[in-house]
Formats: sequence, structure tokens, C-alpha cells
Amino acid sequence: MVYITGYGVISSIGNNVEQTLASLVAQKTGIQQGKQEHTKLFNVGEINYSNDELSDFFQLNTNGSRTSLLGMIAAKEAFKGHVLHDKLRTGLISGTSVGGMDVSEWEYKKYLDQQTQNIETYRHHPSGTTSAQIAIELGIQDYVNTISTACSSAANAIMMGARMIQNGLLDRVVVGGTDSLTKFTISGFRSLMIFDEEWCRPFDQTRKGLNLGEGAGFIVLESGHSLTITKKKPMAVLSGWSNASDAFHQTASSPEGRGAILSMNQALKVANLLASDIDYINAHGTATPNNDLTESKAIQTIFSNRIPPFSSTKAYTGHTLAASGGIEAVISILAIQEKLLFPNLNHNQVIEETKLEPVKAVTKTKQLKHVMSNSFGFSGNNSTIIISAFES
Amino acid sequence: MMYIQIIKSISHQDSFHQENLWDSLTPLAADSTLISPDYKNYISPSSLRRLSPILRNALTVAKECQANYGNEIDAISVGTALGCLLDTEKFLVNIHTSQSDTLSPTAFIQSTHNTISGQISLELKNHAYNMTHTQNSLSFEQALLDGMLCIKDGKKHVLIGAADESISFLNQLKSIIVHEDAQLTSGATFMILSPNQSTSGIGILDFSLSLNTSNRSQLITDFLEKNHLNRNDIDLVLASGKDICATFNNAIDYLQYTGIHFTAVSFAVHMANDWLLKTNKKYVLIINEQQKGQIGLIILKNDKTSN
Repeated sequence: MVYITGYGVISSIGNNVEQTLASLVAQKTGIQQGKQEHTKLFNVGEINYSNDELSDFFQLNTNGSRTSLLGMIAAKEAFKGHVLHDKLRTGLISGTSVGGMDVSEWEYKKYLDQQTQNIETYRHHPSGTTSAQIAIELGIQDYVNTISTACSSAANAIMMGARMIQNGLLDRVVVGGTDSLTKFTISGFRSLMIFDEEWCRPFDQTRKGLNLGEGAGFIVLESGHSLTITKKKPMAVLSGWSNASDAFHQTASSPEGRGAILSMNQALKVANLLASDIDYINAHGTATPNNDLTESKAIQTIFSNRIPPFSSTKAYTGHTLAASGGIEAVISILAIQEKLLFPNLNHNQVIEETKLEPVKAVTKTKQLKHVMSNSFGFSGNNSTIIISAFES
Repeated sequence: MMYIQIIKSISHQDSFHQENLWDSLTPLAADSTLISPDYKNYISPSSLRRLSPILRNALTVAKECQANYGNEIDAISVGTALGCLLDTEKFLVNIHTSQSDTLSPTAFIQSTHNTISGQISLELKNHAYNMTHTQNSLSFEQALLDGMLCIKDGKKHVLIGAADESISFLNQLKSIIVHEDAQLTSGATFMILSPNQSTSGIGILDFSLSLNTSNRSQLITDFLEKNHLNRNDIDLVLASGKDICATFNNAIDYLQYTGIHFTAVSFAVHMANDWLLKTNKKYVLIINEQQKGQIGLIILKNDKTSN
């Protein structure tokens, strides 16, 4: 069994778990017109602190790119109350797609403009270095790794951590992901023409595309043996996980959602659950025409005529890319703890082809035991995790 | 033991078409370049136009592995330290210099690290588990670790590999990457690992990754002991650099054959495999400490020898 004993999150809807829950319940989105030079033309889920403010406000001791700093903040919150122990092998696995691009892209501009560049800045660039910096901030030395599979990175980092615990390679591991808003990714998604100029509308017939966001989300996984030493009471259990390849197109998903079907199915198998056991799906739901249709069809294939309540929370946070699976894992745990279904904001009209209606209001439920969370990335990288209530 | 069913490399050595790497292995000249196969035999002309060298290299060796192996790959795990640098730089130049409101998305799409493993899944029409690890100089070992977990989970035909590429801009960063006189190179090595014995009987017996390690010597001793071995059992050591080699009497610095890129250790695995094939000896130890204090250790074993 893989237990969850900590969670931490920062995004445009809150600096920590408590604020995030408050925003979710108040149906308060973090998406608004950007404030930075490279974000101001767009609706984004931006965190309104400069890097220096982040370091000061959250009392960070380690220097790093914005991606690193956001990661440190969420990972520290997740690891709060945990102490390093010489009998426990503790690791950190983080997902990121941009790494330290937020600092290197501006250093590189100096180079293009033939100004003097400070090459030391590029030390922060490698994605592996962002995780190494987060690990230093937490004091974790036994194992550090980085997964980079675009938008499914954090979900895959969570899965890698679970498998390492299951195989006895680690006792405890901080897993999740982090990404900051960069000119590089904003220009990239714009070039793909899957940007919505307005507030995004996941699973809506009129959806046009996504809003980008930034943030980080981490959870702490522990083995049963680890619990006997840390004495932590699990807040939930990571019961299922899977990754599969759509193998259809570099950026678009297959019409039937083959990769998504595979990942949801296999995650159910790992969790030893039936589709009918799932009480809520936190969907990937980016609000791009392609993703939401495909994901809807894949959900219909898996759940047929018994579709559980589902929603995308990306109209709250924006699409935080590699961080999204981590942030949404935290939201999934909150759903279980509070027995609340969080709404799919900004939804008016069902997709004609599939007619699936997402959760539209904050809804208290009697039973919320198993939550499925999807994360799908470029290159058809499809991942599903299942988080379940802990029953002692 | 994870048996190496097939292993292929594209590098600055004439490696791709060699039956055995050691038939043509030579220390790199200062101006060495990548020795490319005829990619047309592996990649369609339309893809070839679009794909950067790192993607061409990885795709070609991965396809060659699958083509020479009878079973369908059931998991893919790739390590890359710096990913698709050429496309990353291309898109950076575009966003900083283009006056146009519409940029071509190709370089952006191909800049993400998992384009490598993703293109392989696309080309092989492979729906299996597909992962990309990036942890600086231990990126290959992380991919290997994942491959081992896949085999423990019951997979039988796991494609493991690593790829990195050098771009000329990196030369400006040598002082923070390695040292001024290092030769920055590109390379891709992929292999299929299986718990089923291979015809050669050669495989990866064990490996380890360590961070913040100051006592390399003790680490090696402990690692060998865990495998019931001592230093005298090791027939050849392949190590990342002359300094480490100096502490053994049977060590070769593999970086003189690979040049510097942070997944060069994957080529050392190919060297070890082919050395065991050629000599019929039993054990090779690979020591990767390209970045100080981050140590990867790998033992290759030849099951079919009595030497």
C-alpha cells in the first residue's frame, strides 16, 4: 500500500492548501490578464509575486529559477511536519517541462542582443537542476529524479514514486511537479493556436483553447514501514496509476482517445477497482477542442452509461503544464477529505457529440472514496492516477 | 539480471554498422564529428526534414533495435540530460527575433524532452508505457532504474536508451558544464533489456545511483560486496575520466571515446557489452562520475563464460 501523508500547492488560486480549498469552494478563478511583460497580453493563471518576493515571503534558503522556487514552496508545504530519518530512505521526484527556462530565456536574449551575458544563469537551466535545488531546500539526499513528459510530468513523477516504494527502493518520497510561466511556453502554445484569448471553457461546446498557468503541487508518499517510524496518519492512499502511449500524433490525440482509454483502464487494474467504483474524475480538460472531445469519448468508453461526476479545474488554475498533475492530485485529496465535488467553472453548453455534463456547482456528497485524475501530454503521453480514501 | 538482447549506438565513433564496437574504436580527435548512418533507410523523407539530429539519432537506433528483435517492445524508458537543444534554441531565436505574430510551432513541439520517447512510440506504433527521465549526468541510470521497475512489474521487452546533442552555443558554457578543453559531443544508445536470457548471455547484473557522495572508493567496494564480488573479479573498468582510472590497474577512460555529453555512460554500456563479447571475460564495472559527487555504477556480466 502506498500512503499519502502530506500535500502542498501553490498556484494562481492560492499560496497553500488552505487558500486553494477556499478558492475552490468560493468558485474563485485565478485566471486574469497577465502582469508581466510576456504575459500581459493574455489571460493567465499567474502567481503575483516576483522571484525575490517568493524567496522572502516563503523564507527559501536555496537560490533557483522561478520553476525551482515554486517547486520548493509546494514541496516544503507537503513535507511540513516530516523529519529526515537515518532509517528511512527519502527521495524527491519532480516533473517539469520548462525547468529553468524562465531565467535562461532572458539571458539568451542578452546574447542575441550582443550584450554581455552572465553564463552563471544557465546553471539553473537543466530540468534536473530544478529538482536538485528543491531537494536541497528540503534536505533530501537519498534519491532525486526528474520526469519530463510535458503535461503529464507530475502524474508520472507520482507514479514513479509509488513504484519505487512498492519495490522497496524508497520508504518515503516527495512527488509532484512544477512549472513557471515563460515567454517560451506562452509563444509555443500560441504558435499551436490552442490559446483562448478569453477565459477558458473546459468541456463546453464553444471552447476555443486553453489559458496557461503556473504553479507547483507535491504530495508525500510513504510505505507501511515508513509509517511505523514517522507515525503519520495517512490522509489518503495512492491506489492506482498507469501510463500509456497514444502513438497517434505529436500534439493531437487520437479521435477515440486510445491512449487515454489504456491509461484509465490500466490504472483501474492496478487499483483493483471497477469503473463503477470511481466517485469523481478530475479530468485533464484543458479546454482545447481536441483534448476535451477525445477525453469525453474515452471516459464514455470506460464508464459507458454510468459516468461519474467529473470536472476540469483548469478554469480555476489555468493549464499549469508539468505541474498540473501535482496540483490536481492535491485537489483530488481535498475532494476526498471534504467530500466535495469541485465545479468545472465557466461551463454553459455540453459538447454536442458526447453531451457530457460536468459538475457545475460545489457539491457535497455522501460518498467520495475513489478519485481518478487524468494528465495527458504531448507525444501522446497519457497518465492516470487514482487516489482513494484511507480506511484504518 | 537484465539481459541485453540488442544494443545500438550512433556516436562520434563509427559505431552504428559495426558488428563489434572494438573493431574500430579510436580516441576522438579534437575535431571529431558525429558519424551519421544513412537516416533515409530508417526515417521517411518528410519526417527527416523536420527532425533534429538528436531525434534522428534516437529514432534510428531505436528502430534498428526493434527491427532486429522478434518481440514487440512492452515499455520505453529514455534518459536525456539536456534534451532537444537544437529545437529549443531555434524556438528561442524565433520568439526573440521574429516580428511576425504567427510563429511556426514545429521547433516548440519538438523542443520538449519527451519528443525523443514520443517519436519512438509514434514511429513504432507502440502504445506501451513511455517515460522520459532527465537528471543531469545520471539521466541514463534513471531511465535504467525505471526499466528495471518495468521488468519487476512483469514486462519482458523493455527499450532503454539515452540521447543528447551538442549545439555550438554550448561551447560558450563549457566553464560551467565541464572544463574549457572538453570536446562536447552528441550521441544516442538504445538497447532492449529482458529478463529472458539472450544468445550472448551478457546483461546488466546490477547498478546504483548516488548523490552527494564524497567517498567514491567505499561506494564501489560496498556495491561490489552487495553483488558478492571484489575488485579482483572485475576484468575491466570503464570510467568517466583519467582520475578515476588511475585508482585501478585495468581501467579505460570511456570519455576519450565518447567526448562529453551527460548520457555518454550509455555508450560505455555498449562498449562493455562488446568487450565481453570479444574477450569472453566475465565482468565489467562502469563508473560514471561526470558531475562531481553524483555517481552511477553499473556491472555487466557475461553468463556464458567460464573465464
